[in-house]
Amino acid sequence: MGRRVKITLLLAPALLVVSVLFAGGLSAAVVQSLGYLPAIGRTEVSLDAYREVLGSRDFLDSLLLTVYVAGASTGISTVLAVLSALALRNSAGRLSAAIFQLPVTIPHLVAAVGIALVVSQTGLGARVAAALGLIGEPSEFPALLFDRHSIGIILTYVWKEVPFITLVALAALRGVAAELEEVAQTLGANRWQRFWYVVFPVIAPGVVAASLIVFAFTFGAFEVPYLLGQTYPTILPVMAYNEYRSIDLSSRPAAMAINVLIALITALFAAAYLRLGRGLGRG
Amino acid sequence: MSTRLEIQDLTHSYGGDRPALSGLTLSVEPGELVALLGPSGCGKTTALKIIAGLLSPTAGDVRIGGRSVLNVPPEQREAAMVFQKSLLFPHMTVESNVGFGLRMRGTPRGEMRERVERALRRVHMGGFATRKPAALSGGQQQRVALARALVTEPRLLLLDEPLSALDANLREGMRGLIKEVQREGKHTTVFVTHDQEEAVILADRIALVTDGHLRMYDRPEAFYDRPLNREIAEFFGAANFLHGQARNGTVETPLGALKLAIPATSGEVTLTIRPEAVRLEGGENSFSARVREATYLGTQVLYGLEASGGVALKAALPPHTRLTVGDDVLVRLPAESLWALGR
Repeated sequence: MGRRVKITLLLAPALLVVSVLFAGGLSAAVVQSLGYLPAIGRTEVSLDAYREVLGSRDFLDSLLLTVYVAGASTGISTVLAVLSALALRNSAGRLSAAIFQLPVTIPHLVAAVGIALVVSQTGLGARVAAALGLIGEPSEFPALLFDRHSIGIILTYVWKEVPFITLVALAALRGVAAELEEVAQTLGANRWQRFWYVVFPVIAPGVVAASLIVFAFTFGAFEVPYLLGQTYPTILPVMAYNEYRSIDLSSRPAAMAINVLIALITALFAAAYLRLGRGLGRG
Repeated sequence: MSTRLEIQDLTHSYGGDRPALSGLTLSVEPGELVALLGPSGCGKTTALKIIAGLLSPTAGDVRIGGRSVLNVPPEQREAAMVFQKSLLFPHMTVESNVGFGLRMRGTPRGEMRERVERALRRVHMGGFATRKPAALSGGQQQRVALARALVTEPRLLLLDEPLSALDANLREGMRGLIKEVQREGKHTTVFVTHDQEEAVILADRIALVTDGHLRMYDRPEAFYDRPLNREIAEFFGAANFLHGQARNGTVETPLGALKLAIPATSGEVTLTIRPEAVRLEGGENSFSARVREATYLGTQVLYGLEASGGVALKAALPPHTRLTVGDDVLVRLPAESLWALGR
């Protein structure tokens, strides 16, 4: 009992910050999304904002775009990360590791600006391509920013998240997977069989967990789509931000409803992740 | 499925100043179980990995069934390996683990099931087919690993310290199982161990390797009765060494002239005799000594004796020999148990 009290006390400062900033913010959002805004004289509680949001074409478009961006970023990052990890696992080289760890330390905002400088039609990539004669004018460079397919956003996320998933996959590969692969080899498994039947299943739980984190993050992240995304439809967090910034305070409940919905969807992914973690503990 | 294994002049260097293996040459007869015995870091696991194909030797050759396999990848060598850790595939059931090698070869499902079942029964794990490895004890996991290696009827069975991660009581059972299964299937087997007791109990022949060199390759009893030199004798627990001059079939020692059943070549020699072979009686090769130390070991008593001229000897005698420190006794070193070590 004394031990538990001690642990609780030790955790108290962190718990306080989390509960005030996170739970406090979230409950404020929930309250406002239900239309309770005494500042503008609204005190009755209703689900009108949710009805309005969920019934609107804008929300549906945004939701689809968000799922597409988060899904594509996660999928591409995961495949590239697994391939990179397989390529890197035998190299003890510090350089490759350093190059790979670099993006992890760079803020998303800076990454977005960096990608924009390289891939915009007036950027480095366009000028290099023109100079090499691949395209006539820099402006002929394909539009990768503010475009319908959100290429710029996905590129930024891939650049940022590949190293993260790679590190997780590498840790698994360099651990027991290497020994299991040797066993499989002496039992007659060729390279492809070893990957498919042994290595992949062994690193999959870690990789899946890491990509779920990436999905949940890219689903709820705001700054990269805000900087590099098209004006319509926007990604859900950008949509929520635009509603929030509206001069008309009566659109505040809708903004908060979108936020709560983002939180709910992300929570679903977190639950899936936790379940996976528990499954691993048992296995 | 018995195959001969030959290792010729095998040398391997990891890039340090001393090679892990140098010039290892030995052959394993079809169906024979050879123990590669040596302290950790002596190069024995390196040798095993080279045989399996997981490492390429710096120099030398490995021949399985008379053909060099240096250019054959591990998956085609048919040399199944069991490691120190069971290394079962954690995401597969016991059944899938054991069937793995057959599945990789495209064995038909029905035949696979039958052979897996038989292999599991052979290691007394018949009822565990649907379990996951995590639900098994360490000993059970190691038995499944053995079944997994055996099920494909490999040409070679390579065992890398398969018992060292087990508790003492489990080790004995597993040791028996390995011997039983190996005899039954007549698998040509190389067994790596640092435990001389294990090597003596299991092996048909023992290859003693230290510092990457083969020191002695012979039947287990030869390591006790006729060790090549003092280092080998000490590795096998010899405690008695006597210096002397060999002349006309006898050896002049501080204990007097001793007769040997196998005479030593003339010149300076070191004699050895196992503590168990020392007798408390008169006759040929006998002298008097005083008991200096007595250690009761349960099944025997180990006595420290001091003979004339301060020569110390160890004698292991049955527990009913009740000598006490200070007693004077007559000691005999039987000629057939005295052995002159090489120089």
